[in-house]
Amino acid sequence: MSGTLVEGLPPREEGGPLRGDGAALPLLGAADPTRGILPSGSRSRSAAANARRYLGFPAVLALVCVLVGVYVAVADLDDVERRLLTFDRIFEAILVHLQLVGISTLVVIALAVPLGILVTRPAATGLTPIVVAFGNVGQTVPSLGVIVLFAILFEPGFRGAAIALIVYAFLPILRNTIVGLQQIDPFVIESARGMGMPSGTVLRRIELPLAVPVILAGVRTAAVINVGTATIGAFTNAGGLGGIIFGGIVQSRTPVIVVGSILTAVLALLLDHVLGVVEEVLRPRGL
Amino acid sequence: MSDMIVLEQLTKNYPGQARPAVDALDLAISEGEIVVLVGPSGCGKTTTLKMINRLIEPSSGVIRLQGEDVTRADPDDLRLRMGYVIQQVGLFPHHTIGGNIAAVPRLLGWSRQRIADRLDELLHLVGMDPAIYRDRYPKELSGGQRQRIGVARALAADPPVMLMDEPFGALDPISRDRLQNEFLRLQGQIGKTIVFVTHDIDEAIKMGDRIAILREGSTVAQYDTPETILAAPADEFVSQFIGSGASLKGLGLARVGEVSLADWPTSLRSDGRAAARRALDSSDHGWVLLLDEQRRPVRWVEARGLQGEGSLDGVGLEVRATVEPTATLVGALESMLGSRVGVVVIVDGSGAFLGTVDMRVIMSAVEAMRASAHQRVLDDRRRMRTDQEPAASEIAAK
Repeated sequence: MSGTLVEGLPPREEGGPLRGDGAALPLLGAADPTRGILPSGSRSRSAAANARRYLGFPAVLALVCVLVGVYVAVADLDDVERRLLTFDRIFEAILVHLQLVGISTLVVIALAVPLGILVTRPAATGLTPIVVAFGNVGQTVPSLGVIVLFAILFEPGFRGAAIALIVYAFLPILRNTIVGLQQIDPFVIESARGMGMPSGTVLRRIELPLAVPVILAGVRTAAVINVGTATIGAFTNAGGLGGIIFGGIVQSRTPVIVVGSILTAVLALLLDHVLGVVEEVLRPRGL
Repeated sequence: MSDMIVLEQLTKNYPGQARPAVDALDLAISEGEIVVLVGPSGCGKTTTLKMINRLIEPSSGVIRLQGEDVTRADPDDLRLRMGYVIQQVGLFPHHTIGGNIAAVPRLLGWSRQRIADRLDELLHLVGMDPAIYRDRYPKELSGGQRQRIGVARALAADPPVMLMDEPFGALDPISRDRLQNEFLRLQGQIGKTIVFVTHDIDEAIKMGDRIAILREGSTVAQYDTPETILAAPADEFVSQFIGSGASLKGLGLARVGEVSLADWPTSLRSDGRAAARRALDSSDHGWVLLLDEQRRPVRWVEARGLQGEGSLDGVGLEVRATVEPTATLVGALESMLGSRVGVVVIVDGSGAFLGTVDMRVIMSAVEAMRASAHQRVLDDRRRMRTDQEPAASEIAAK
């Protein structure tokens, strides 16, 4: 019987690892998080064409912001609206919002990526379903519930919301790390081990670079979801753009709600674009 | 020849399986030979191969490499001494061809210059132009090219041993045949000790200096040269595994380089018509073979085509059927049947003319093989009889 683990697998086309787990990702709300913004081969395009492609969309978003700013400056707003929509308040809200998203996402990367690596080591494969189940809990509980829960458990405000976002963003990054490592052609790893490459070197030189596109897709999904989820943090007094939207709702001032919502959307779209560019730049050549 | 690899009572048990995957296998592999492990699927041949470089740890038994017991040596160090080639190749898709081939030299800490030199040498060795392929990525290569790189990568640090698991199994028949021939030529230069796994008896016969036919549990049914296995299969299992057409397979074993080639009138194309006419007139053949400046055959020309004056460019028939001395007589026979002249031209590695093979050469080779197989079987019988005689006389004495 030569039916070893490796031999039993169906042959897969060399050099073409499956990319982006179609099963895991639609669940997380992104159509195809591994898609590049640019068609493949863009690297060989001229720098000018690349700049147009990289900067075109942000330029549109900037234009939207300018229009919002002009509207706030010139529109016929009442006193309450004026008070809620000062530029200071808006900038402060954007800053806090970015901090919430940035800190939570970075903490999740620091926790979930190593955990994902750990549970995909051959000795720990039994752990994978357990760890993913825990990650699922954070995702399955509605975001408002998670945020309120952590505000109660820790403290209302920035810290509680940040921790809730960490819990909420954990699964996309963890699962994509696991999927990213699992989707690597097992024969690539077998040949690396077979030539005498130590397992640590295989992880550093082979597995992680090949998993980078999928891991980054998870980071992108998580960060974009967190931009939206962070608005709910306003309910626990965490600040951010949710504070502006929430203020508008409480005072029944539609212009305030609209401005807050548009800025949240712009932020989410911008982050998505920037992380898409990062993904593309860090994607190893040859894939 | 000393033994490069010795397996002693090598056994692999998998938990929950009643019978061992590999059951107390004893096998000795001499330095510089290709040993093919062949058997039906599930017989344990791949498990056996992977125990040699300990990708699968043996349950019991001993592995010796160059006399040294490596059963408990550091597996990474052990693997650095053995090239490993698998059917799926397993090139690193994010590394260039150069990066792939340089993987082991980098692990060994070679200098940049030494790696670069070795890289070019290896790419030339497997017939790929370094300037074109060094910086390409695996996905830009065909299946056959990838496996060439797989072989080059395994050879990078010049290990004494190569382990190859159905290396040509995923290729189309034409590429497979070509790579097999290239590999045999390569082996003629490098003389590695090679353990080669396949389920294809024809590939085993073609590639192996010796063949170990395995049955379930990696038990050796017969371990001998292909010629002997074909002429005298040890038992019913072996003869069934060889299948029909053993005599034609035997013809497939003789390589063109081993038979005496037939001479043929040749003339350099640049020497002109008069020289070609003289070459043709001094022979009893109807065609003269024109060679270029590098003595590579270019055209077949009849006496008719040599009349008149002028250059010989474009005169006669293109030479289509050429084979190298590493090709088998079956291959030569096939090429011959496909040629319009009924003769196959034998060329060396650089394409230069060596001689020809025609039907008479094939016939005399077949005669010689039959005679020697007959002789070998007679010898074996005689030896068996002398082995048994003392035993018989002992019984008689009691």
